[in-house]
Amino acid sequence: MQNTSNKYLIAALLIGIAFHGTSIFFTLETTYDALIHLFFADHYATSWFEPWNYKWYTGFTVMSYPPLVHQAIAAFSFIGGLKFGLFTVALISILLFITGVYRFSLLITANRTVAGYAAILAVLSSSFVETLHVFGQLPSIIGISVLMHALPEIYLWLKTGKYRYLLTSLSLIAVTVCSHHVTPIFGMVFFIFPLIGMVIMDASKETVGSMKAVTFKIFLNAFFKLFKRIVGFGMLSLVIIIGCILPYWINSKNNPITQVPIPHGSRDSFLEITSSGLVFFLIPWGILLVLLPYFFYRYYSKRYLFFGLSFTLLTVLGTGGTTPIPKLILGDTAFNILTLDRFTLWASIMALPLFGEFAYRCIETDLKTRIQNRFGAIYHRIIVGILAGLFIFMSIFTVSLGYFRPSQPQKIKMLPIVNFLNQDQHDQWRYLTLGFGDQMAWLAAQTNALSVDGNYHSARRLPELTTRAIERLENSKFKGIEGIGSLQQFLTVPEKYNLKYIFSNDKFYDTILYFCGWQRLRQLENGIQVWEKLNVPPIASVLPKDAIPKWQKILWGIVPFLTVLIAFILNIQLLWIRALKTKVKPIPEYLNFKNNYNSFSKGLLKITHIWSVLLAIIVCYGVYIFYLKNDSQRTPENVVLAYYDALDFKAFEDAYNLIDPNSNVSIAQYMLEVSVTDGLLSSYAKLETINTNITYKNDSVATAKIETKWITPLETITKTNYKTVVKHHGEWFLQPEHLDPDLPPDQLYSNNTTTFYNQGRRRITSEQTHHEDVLKQPVLEVLQATLVKYDNHYAIIGEIQNIDNTPADIVLKGTLYNNTNKALASYNAKYHVKHKLMPKEVTAFRINFEGIAWSKTQDSIPKTFNPDEFTPVELSEQPTTFNLQVAGNVSGLDLYKDVTLSAININDTSINGTLFNSGIEEVTVPQLLITYYNDNKQMLWVDHLFLKDGIKQQRQQQFNYPLLKTMPIQIISNDMSHCFVNGLPNKDIAKKVISNRIKNHTYSKLQPITHPNYSFIKIELNNYIGNPN
Amino acid sequence: MQIKRLYILLLGLLVLSSATRVEFTEYKDIKFLTTQSIFSAGDTIILQFSAPNNETPNLYCSHSYGSAVISPVLKQNILEYTIPNSISNKSGVVLWQLINQELSGQFEIIPKTKVNSLETYIGPPSIAAGGTDYAMLVVIPTDDLDNPLKENTPVNIKHQFLASEENDNITTAHLIAHKNIYSKTETGRILLASECLGKHSKEYDISVLAGTPTDFNISATRHHDYADGNQITSFSTSILRDVYNNVVNDGTYVQFFITNSEGNILKTSGTTIKGIATASLIHPDYKTQWSIQAFVNGMAESDIITLDYKQVVTDFTIAFANNTVTVGPLKSFMNQLIPDGLQVTLSVFKADTEVYTKVNAAKEGFAHFNLKQLNLEKGLYSITVKTAGLEKTLQNINYE
Repeated sequence: MQNTSNKYLIAALLIGIAFHGTSIFFTLETTYDALIHLFFADHYATSWFEPWNYKWYTGFTVMSYPPLVHQAIAAFSFIGGLKFGLFTVALISILLFITGVYRFSLLITANRTVAGYAAILAVLSSSFVETLHVFGQLPSIIGISVLMHALPEIYLWLKTGKYRYLLTSLSLIAVTVCSHHVTPIFGMVFFIFPLIGMVIMDASKETVGSMKAVTFKIFLNAFFKLFKRIVGFGMLSLVIIIGCILPYWINSKNNPITQVPIPHGSRDSFLEITSSGLVFFLIPWGILLVLLPYFFYRYYSKRYLFFGLSFTLLTVLGTGGTTPIPKLILGDTAFNILTLDRFTLWASIMALPLFGEFAYRCIETDLKTRIQNRFGAIYHRIIVGILAGLFIFMSIFTVSLGYFRPSQPQKIKMLPIVNFLNQDQHDQWRYLTLGFGDQMAWLAAQTNALSVDGNYHSARRLPELTTRAIERLENSKFKGIEGIGSLQQFLTVPEKYNLKYIFSNDKFYDTILYFCGWQRLRQLENGIQVWEKLNVPPIASVLPKDAIPKWQKILWGIVPFLTVLIAFILNIQLLWIRALKTKVKPIPEYLNFKNNYNSFSKGLLKITHIWSVLLAIIVCYGVYIFYLKNDSQRTPENVVLAYYDALDFKAFEDAYNLIDPNSNVSIAQYMLEVSVTDGLLSSYAKLETINTNITYKNDSVATAKIETKWITPLETITKTNYKTVVKHHGEWFLQPEHLDPDLPPDQLYSNNTTTFYNQGRRRITSEQTHHEDVLKQPVLEVLQATLVKYDNHYAIIGEIQNIDNTPADIVLKGTLYNNTNKALASYNAKYHVKHKLMPKEVTAFRINFEGIAWSKTQDSIPKTFNPDEFTPVELSEQPTTFNLQVAGNVSGLDLYKDVTLSAININDTSINGTLFNSGIEEVTVPQLLITYYNDNKQMLWVDHLFLKDGIKQQRQQQFNYPLLKTMPIQIISNDMSHCFVNGLPNKDIAKKVISNRIKNHTYSKLQPITHPNYSFIKIELNNYIGNPN
Repeated sequence: MQIKRLYILLLGLLVLSSATRVEFTEYKDIKFLTTQSIFSAGDTIILQFSAPNNETPNLYCSHSYGSAVISPVLKQNILEYTIPNSISNKSGVVLWQLINQELSGQFEIIPKTKVNSLETYIGPPSIAAGGTDYAMLVVIPTDDLDNPLKENTPVNIKHQFLASEENDNITTAHLIAHKNIYSKTETGRILLASECLGKHSKEYDISVLAGTPTDFNISATRHHDYADGNQITSFSTSILRDVYNNVVNDGTYVQFFITNSEGNILKTSGTTIKGIATASLIHPDYKTQWSIQAFVNGMAESDIITLDYKQVVTDFTIAFANNTVTVGPLKSFMNQLIPDGLQVTLSVFKADTEVYTKVNAAKEGFAHFNLKQLNLEKGLYSITVKTAGLEKTLQNINYE
């Protein structure tokens, strides 16, 4: 074999294994993608040949992603578990990458030392480090690595025409496509086409003797000479690319991606969104940015001309939305589906051979001598030192990016959740995680229970998800109104998806869960809060799946490993035969095209210097801008912004430091004041936008009008605040706001309440609940139900009473029908109802018919999504009748009813009032349900108001409710013959239980108002308690 | 070629003829030999047929759990079909037919006569007192193979409620025995037990809960009758009972409507404990009269009581200096400073148009409003302050 081993390559491999092998254990599990691949691997480990997976998205096929890497992890998992498999495959990918870069560099530069340099640099190159340690894209890495291994073989086939090279190159292409589908397709364009160009150049050079003599005509001649080989290779590799993962292509054709584009950072304008610029441009390029002139100079030399074009294209495409060019090149569709960071990755990989060459020349040969002659040895040492320092800094920074900016929530112990799902047949229902980040994939891999959510959005099929530009329901709060709105739809009609349990790792979602009718079950020992919904049927024991022909399953299960096996045998065997046949090592053809490293271009050195200075200036300017923006007390605007930022992130000490030191508020007092404010705005809101307007400013005082927009799980809140800002010693400070001094009347007081406990199963058994332990469903009565039309949307409104003796959790499902009894829409009451009723308690309700409620979901979902906006209905299908199904279940939770309406003041446009909390729990989010009546005291509409602030015990809270705008409400039907309670007709059950009901009993106590459309209103109160005592 | 074709033809004929021969064979003399037509569940059932041709046709069996095809055992020209346990353990009629034969028939499997268990269901588990609501007890006596016992098996049902213990004898009909247990006028718990042929069930129970409440009275208590906005008035009901004088169930929701002098309706609510619901509300901060009535919606209501609240703040002063409005001192009925938290509303007018309204709470007898934040233009304004039902205006203040 080789006479001497390449010591640089050996060093690169050792450093690579030591550096990455150690750090992956701290980074890989917190990357974006690694756990998704682990989940897929778990699928193959449990059912290798069955591509249907029920665990995510109510079922999807794993044929939507090339299987090799997942199957490899699965195979290793049989030895030491899934994570062992993951790390083993990661280590293999590191080895493949380093050797791949070595071979690619050797092919390009024909110099073993240069290739060795490139291999060492590749180990620490920031783009590779980022792809592995931040993104966790193992299939991508393996794909590009194997492709780099294939390139020399392709060169040799094209150059020599020996069939064994055709075989080896095709075998490697096969492995590439089995590990990542996008890599060989784009690899063809960006790596193989320029390579073909280089082969033709080399062939032309051989005919004329020197590169300079190569003209276009000679090039064309050489091209035609090699044409058969090129076309042969092209056709065969196309066959390989299609054939090896044929089921994937069939699946893509049968289930085209209907997903609306999901925003991705790599498509942002990097100048506007600097965080995307950092992650998708600065980090992957890293130090290579400094050497860009060198790369372009070298790649635009005649031999590498086509690599130059490809490199330019990749560089441009990698800039995402910064310039319009990528969108023009790719077209709208491709631009919105592809993540563009891959182009930057490939560009940086393409630069690696030349980076190695530059390092070699700078350290050992002509560049060194040139710099030393011109600027002196010390300058050379400093320059090399700075470059090396920057290079190392970038890779260390990138590896530990997760430390500086955690992309994932804290690691969650999954065992308690897995145990919970295994208990008591909890896995008979679907579950949903909230605030788990990508760790949800790891939970999914460990449990047999199914989820409605998932982490591979290309495979989604539910229109509720594919029509929304959200990645996962799980992190919907980061997607603003659209995310929360989408989550709300799932929470409102969970029985459609058999969704019963929610594991919440983020308090943010608590309020929406409560107001959608969910109840807290308990906190697991890992701190995860479990929420439960009553009245959800378990999943059917047989679930639908897409039938996939057996041959596809077999192909999918066998071919990927077969390609590896064949590639292994062919490549290793050829080496072996070569070694045996000839004692002398045959020199690969590409080593005949050596470069001359004698004189480094003067102009290039100059340009590189200028470019570096320019870069340095840009960086310095960027840092300066960053400083100006972030120096929190420089201007009144900055101090306001910094203060709100600090509050948003609950960094109260930072916030305190921005408070006027002369205001005599101690930090203890400040913290106390912050801690006593609870409510939707202070505990559950995320600051979306802030607009600061300085209305008055002199040298020492300024007043700011601050318009803030907050995303809360329930609705968006806009708020206008006025703050006074004062200046001391050149720094601006905020004047503190004063607390409501309201003093509660009683120091110590008592309250008697009835509490309930449901034993569930009285016997400790794993069997189904005994018949006699099943409680009767509480009897409810629909007092009124009306189908109305208001402002172009339909709603069922009405009143419901719990006429039983036990407290009830109520679920209301309304269905709209047209004249021909065709069901048009079906939805549940969301938060226009009190979901928990004491015996004999009444609640008004309203059922909206939001986006997914309508049967023609695809058409009816508006392009821009807002949960408060309703779907316009086609005029040809007007709802005329409705069906109302009410179900009660015994629940002893969330029955706090001690908030009272203590004062009210009504004018023509609004209601002002005060709520008083007379009980012993602090109410976090009070809600008002306001029912409107006409002059005949007929119900017309039900509206709601969430109070922004909570109410502490024995304290008051004011509210202001703007009355509905003047707009007539049309009553379409008040035929209550299709109202059912627990499956029985409402009329019969009402007659049996309350035979002599006093109709419209409390109508004498309706609040009169003066309004053109409405004459009376009724106010009901509902409360969410965030932290029950 | 010719010879080959001939061979094929001959071979084809041969095959065809043999096939037709099979088709026309008949089991002419097969006869059903078993005479017994009623079996007890769990017995080994063997159907015998004579088999003169030594042929062994399969027997097709069908019963309520499904169908089965049984292969025979041939013993000395007798075909024996052993009916599998899955069929012979279950009571009911079994139809049989020999496959490819005209011969068919049926036999019956009857349940055992010994009770092994009493399958008992009761529902609903809670009913209302009053004698019209009822729960149904269903008893299914079964043998050890889970077959319901034969029709008219006697079942004895006992139930106890308060002092009464009743005993009823019923019989099974259509496999089950059932009885409706009606509530009495009292609330409590009915315990039930059943017995069949010496086998006893476990204990079951039905809760008898109170019926709908009837009208009731309410009362109010308070520390004083001043409208200071800082004390609590408590309301409570008399004991809520249904028509049979049973105390309503704990947790029954009673809503109190308070109509004040302005005709506005305030609300509070309580849930009953031992029939009494209590609710409370904070005092108003201005002179008013409350008339209070409580409801159990659609079922019962209370009498109306009225409460008067006396004015505490009789007067206050407004001062304007440094662009700040100071209201106070606000004094209560003994000239003490009003407790912190009294709401003071400030409205700022410019030429009769309201430009700003803010509510602040009084602290240590004073409320302050800083107008600096309002971004007002310099000039003359008038301000109105409302608190404790009083209203005062300050004209032509100069904002600078």
